[in-house]
Amino acid sequence: MLDGTILAEEIWKRFRLDERPTYLQDRIAGARDRMRGRSGDSWRWALNDVSLRAQPGESWALVGANGAGKSTLLKIISRVMYQTAGRLEMAGRVGALIEVRAGLTPLLTGRENIYLTGSIMGLPRREVARRFDEIVEFAELEKAVDRQVKYYSSGMQMRLGFSVAAHLQPDILLVDEVLAVGDASFQQRCLDQIRKVLNEGTTLLFVSHDLAAVEATCANGIWLHNGEAQTAGPIREVLSAYRGSVEGDAKSRADIEGLVRVSQVEAAAPDGGLAKTGGPLDVSLTVHSDKSYRAWIYLGITEGAATPIFLLNPGRETMLEPGETRVRCSISSLPLPAGRYYLWGGIYRNWTQGEELIGWQPLTEFDAYGPELDAAPRAVVRLSPIHVDSEWEVDAA
Amino acid sequence: MLDADGSDAAIVEMPPGEATLAGAPEIHARRSEPRPEIWFRRRIRPLPALRELWAFRELTITLAERDLRVRYKQAALGVAWAVIAPVVMMVAFTVLFNRFAKVDTGGVPYALFSYLGLLPWTFFSGSVSNGGLSLVTNNELLNKLYCPREVFPIAAIADALVDLLIASCILLLLFPITGFAPKAQSYYLPLLLIVMIAFTLGVTLAVSAIVVYARDLRLVLPLAIQVGLFVTPVVYGASSISSSKAFLLVFSAINPLVSVIDGMRDTVLSGVAPNWMLLGVGAVSALVYLTGGFLLFKHLETGMADIA
Repeated sequence: MLDGTILAEEIWKRFRLDERPTYLQDRIAGARDRMRGRSGDSWRWALNDVSLRAQPGESWALVGANGAGKSTLLKIISRVMYQTAGRLEMAGRVGALIEVRAGLTPLLTGRENIYLTGSIMGLPRREVARRFDEIVEFAELEKAVDRQVKYYSSGMQMRLGFSVAAHLQPDILLVDEVLAVGDASFQQRCLDQIRKVLNEGTTLLFVSHDLAAVEATCANGIWLHNGEAQTAGPIREVLSAYRGSVEGDAKSRADIEGLVRVSQVEAAAPDGGLAKTGGPLDVSLTVHSDKSYRAWIYLGITEGAATPIFLLNPGRETMLEPGETRVRCSISSLPLPAGRYYLWGGIYRNWTQGEELIGWQPLTEFDAYGPELDAAPRAVVRLSPIHVDSEWEVDAA
Repeated sequence: MLDADGSDAAIVEMPPGEATLAGAPEIHARRSEPRPEIWFRRRIRPLPALRELWAFRELTITLAERDLRVRYKQAALGVAWAVIAPVVMMVAFTVLFNRFAKVDTGGVPYALFSYLGLLPWTFFSGSVSNGGLSLVTNNELLNKLYCPREVFPIAAIADALVDLLIASCILLLLFPITGFAPKAQSYYLPLLLIVMIAFTLGVTLAVSAIVVYARDLRLVLPLAIQVGLFVTPVVYGASSISSSKAFLLVFSAINPLVSVIDGMRDTVLSGVAPNWMLLGVGAVSALVYLTGGFLLFKHLETGMADIA
């Protein structure tokens, strides 16, 4: 088996339902129950028949809601935790960035921590020494490297943790939802570094809620839901399935009712058909109100989650009289490539920060047809999937 | 991991169990439990485990070094701390204890007599109290990346060994002060130290693993160590509690430190070979402690990450 291969087949993991720290008295109580023939154990399956086969140099993302089992799977693959059932085979050195603290020891200096992490990864000291300057430079800790880590800010700790894990040439790199702590420029440099490491043949397993970063970094993905793999495969397919489910969840929770009520929401081309890239889109909704309000109406188009690709508002207050108010918004040219989109909306009493008449929530969904979104180079994060027409001329000079 | 009673029964019953899920077709295709043949069973194979431990020797050294640094960085007295504890105890025993209960030391100055008992005892108690909590205190580190977890207690023992070396330097002062010279038979010491380390390792491994599962034991630990001081012949001689040979052998089987300390006094202070019968029993017992402690540790290691 080549270094960097991960073969995880039919992985199951269960936890006790009561996850509080255990004490001797609990053990005694449990033993007493068992002797009386009662099994006091209750279990929860955190991973339910999940398989992952990664070849060297592949990049896999794990996406899913909190508690879906992503971190548990990472911990099993890093062999910190044992699976309850299933087969796990791996080859090569593993570098992991799983906790925000990144496993640093607060009482030691940055320098000592770098060597300590190196020896956990199984690297000889001289190897760590060879890369030492590179690690410190990347983490921007030249001045702080001989200070105790407990005096580091959380951003500094994260930078150091990432830098160590990514620079010690692991065959397998596990990164769990930690980049969120860094500032934007550091995040970008992390992604660059991840790309570099990938090009050197390292296998990447990436957990993040930042779907744009996931899409930019990973070629493959697994969507976990309640410990089960919903879809596994090319990242775009996995993400669109996952985004769809996020919206579906949100919609089933929300009846569009606050201090006012919204009904008859529609988003479609003016002729009632599918919206087309670059074509018009009409949004209409009806607001029912008992009182009269001066309101600000916001609409947003999203890919599923609450963060919109772009926002729309009339730019002025809207008078909502008691009874029904019909609201219509026409977009003359929709800058979205083919895909499924979600219309979110909110109605507020004052400009931006006022009392919510309707909280920010999904209103409806629609499909657009037209050109596919162009693929981005690896590790380049696109903020929004916007389609812009362009014409190119490439001539030999 | 696998609770034989409950889950085996569940596996046997699985087909009808699945049938009850028929109302939800997409769940029906999924199993509610893993296939019986893929359940994970940890096999403890001592030789590969030891080889792996050897492969991680550099980590063990780094951890031991880290603990020493942290300890001496925080304590104002630094390295002197390793000396102070046994010396203060020695002085207290010499001035107070020896005055009330006249101990039969066989003509050896009591300060030396008790210090030779205190050295192994301090090593043992330091190992068990620091090493015993090492998995709990290093929780963050051992949940980060895989390593054989016994490196943490072993690193704590290595630290205690360094402390023992430092504390032994006091003997260089103590011998001239008391006007007493160590005897040539001191060359037996390495043998005695091996028995001491084997016993300490076994107990520390077992305690460290158990404390993860029963956190309240860490409160009991200091008390147990305090009691241990008096059921070990530190302040008194092993032979002075009973003249019965059988009693001494049983005592040494339960607590191999009896044979270690007795051997140290015989060789270094009295200049005779250790009591081989006593030491033999102690060595066998230490080996049993070590094997048992290691197997228990490996057995409990599997589930540690789940509750830590």
